[in-house]
Amino acid sequence: MALLEVNDLQTRFRTDDGIVKAVSGVSFSLEKGETLGVVGESGSGKSVTFLTVMGLVDMRHAQVEGSVRFDGQEILGASSSSLQKIRGSRIGMIFQDPMTSLNPVKRIGWQLEEAVLLHNDVTHAEARRRSVEILQEVEIPRADARIDDYPHQFSGGMRQRVMIAMALINKPEVLIADEPTTALDVTTQAQILRLMRKLQDEHEMAIVMITHDLGVVAELANDVLVMYGGRVVEQAQVDHLFAKPEMPYTWGLLGSLPRLNVTSERLEQIPGQPPSLLHPPKGCSFNPRCAYVFDRCRQELPELAAGAVGDEHRFRCHLPDEERARIWEAKKAALAAEGSAA
Amino acid sequence: MSELLAVENLQKYFPVTRGMVFQKEVGQVKAVDGVNFTLEKGQTLGVVGESGCGKSTMARCIARLLEPTGGKIVFDGRDITHLNRNEMRPIRRDMMMVFQDPYASLNARKRVGSIVGEPLEVHGIGTEQDRKRRVQELLEIVGLNPEHFNRFPHEFSGGQRQRIGIARALVINPKLVICDEPVSALDVSVQAQILNLLKDLQQDFDLTYIFIAHDLNVVRHVSDRVMVMYLGAPVETGGKTELYTEPKHPYTGALLSAVPIADPTLGRARKQIVLEGDVPSPLNPPEACRFHPRCPRFVDGKCNVDPPELTPVAGNPEHEFACHFPLERWPMDEDEIRRRPALAGAAE
Repeated sequence: MALLEVNDLQTRFRTDDGIVKAVSGVSFSLEKGETLGVVGESGSGKSVTFLTVMGLVDMRHAQVEGSVRFDGQEILGASSSSLQKIRGSRIGMIFQDPMTSLNPVKRIGWQLEEAVLLHNDVTHAEARRRSVEILQEVEIPRADARIDDYPHQFSGGMRQRVMIAMALINKPEVLIADEPTTALDVTTQAQILRLMRKLQDEHEMAIVMITHDLGVVAELANDVLVMYGGRVVEQAQVDHLFAKPEMPYTWGLLGSLPRLNVTSERLEQIPGQPPSLLHPPKGCSFNPRCAYVFDRCRQELPELAAGAVGDEHRFRCHLPDEERARIWEAKKAALAAEGSAA
Repeated sequence: MSELLAVENLQKYFPVTRGMVFQKEVGQVKAVDGVNFTLEKGQTLGVVGESGCGKSTMARCIARLLEPTGGKIVFDGRDITHLNRNEMRPIRRDMMMVFQDPYASLNARKRVGSIVGEPLEVHGIGTEQDRKRRVQELLEIVGLNPEHFNRFPHEFSGGQRQRIGIARALVINPKLVICDEPVSALDVSVQAQILNLLKDLQQDFDLTYIFIAHDLNVVRHVSDRVMVMYLGAPVETGGKTELYTEPKHPYTGALLSAVPIADPTLGRARKQIVLEGDVPSPLNPPEACRFHPRCPRFVDGKCNVDPPELTPVAGNPEHEFACHFPLERWPMDEDEIRRRPALAGAAE
């Protein structure tokens, strides 16, 4: 049985302008020790999906349907007191911006100890001991002294380590990381990713990595969800996805990436803007930006159907298999030619 | 081709003061400390480095938004290092900036037309009719609808706002455009649109760019020459191909190896050099080679005593690096990088 199983999740927000369909029919499962990469642009619904999973959307404005089973137990719509027992202890979360997610007027130690005391029946001294230990584990130098510092006394990378420490202090089974390295320099990003991998190996933790960086996904994930317009448009093992992506949007994402080994003059660009979730386009949500659009795409939403490799690689696209294969081969050849020219 | 910009030994120190009323200088932050480069017309210089390495401060000094502490800036044949506000004014027409945050760099209370037209107004160019025509022309060039003239910035997405920022920078026909992290806040697909746009505009209008970014992929894509900065000074400069395929400075190597590769097979095969720790404080920079506390090739008694000079690579005067123990080939893994310095040190 999967550790986290999400089925047909829907999140809609009521706004003055109408109903925003932020998440539409997202399903996936996550096993112990695995990493799920979730990629998509801003507004693709990737963050809202996991806020919904954690029960963190404001239910006064949101309408949520579907099922979220954590360790066999349904947690969607569960009471906030039972959710609070899970959040921060069995499921940890890291947010993107470490400066706004830490309390600026409390010492780091206080914030870490709070997380321990909330979920465990231990003394303050024990909570402090655990806090120092976790700071050492995330490789903060002189942890026993720095625990009494305020967030502003830390650099960006150090703050992100504190956020990770806070998410990990109760040894969660699942870690949900929402763009944990986006605001950081490449060198710091490499440190943080290495640290997450190390901690995952030690604790057999499952990780959900929400990001817009395909490079990060390629380095860390086992399985990948590509999200667009509130839906999963492609779902595959990481090797399959990068070896043979099937959906035109994924092609566009891969093509628009400047790469170190490719020196073409122009990047492939996806024209236009991400779709409005208030008035989504009819049919396939990618059809207004797709280069291979035909009539059926404008009428009918394609199913998330299995491709040639079976259930492990599913995608939404009306294009016939042969045609998709032909287009991808051509793109791959073009990329390879540029790569060897470099 | 002619030289548009020459920067010699540029320095910018910020005083650190103590005391509420009688401020006493107790130290200096050497944000930029000895930057040299020249930039030909129509070329792009990419500047990379971690946050806090002084790349933005350098750009602001060149645009004379900050007063340099020392050094010399020659723009279009004229020394502009110590010109005052009035003398700078006509020169500002020729150098414009595009900023990182498209949300913060546009005045939320002004309409797009007056934001883009402001440089024309400031410099008193044309009549109101001329200006409006020029602004609409520019909006079209950067891929916006000229009818958006009367809209407010909040009605646009991040990518569109960045286009507005670019239109504002180009409306007055500058010679030099300084782009400070212009695509860092954007999604990949939009980032590609903006990068392509900047390239097209460079060709169409013969622009010269200084392009600052922390993303090495982006910098390689747009630049002709690349300068890698660390703690206020360049550690390596070179043509983009040499710098990326044969880096000499260990810091450049570490930066290159830290970039995630969007290909799981290649990614698993390569060995990363992960630097420990953060960039040290520019208030008390390390002695001699400023990179030595984090350097995998550190040799005690050399790197922390003798500051390395920028020296050209044999056979390529365009490619310079400041290191006593440069990388002898690329790619290298962490062990190879560490092994070498002891031998080289003994030989000296």
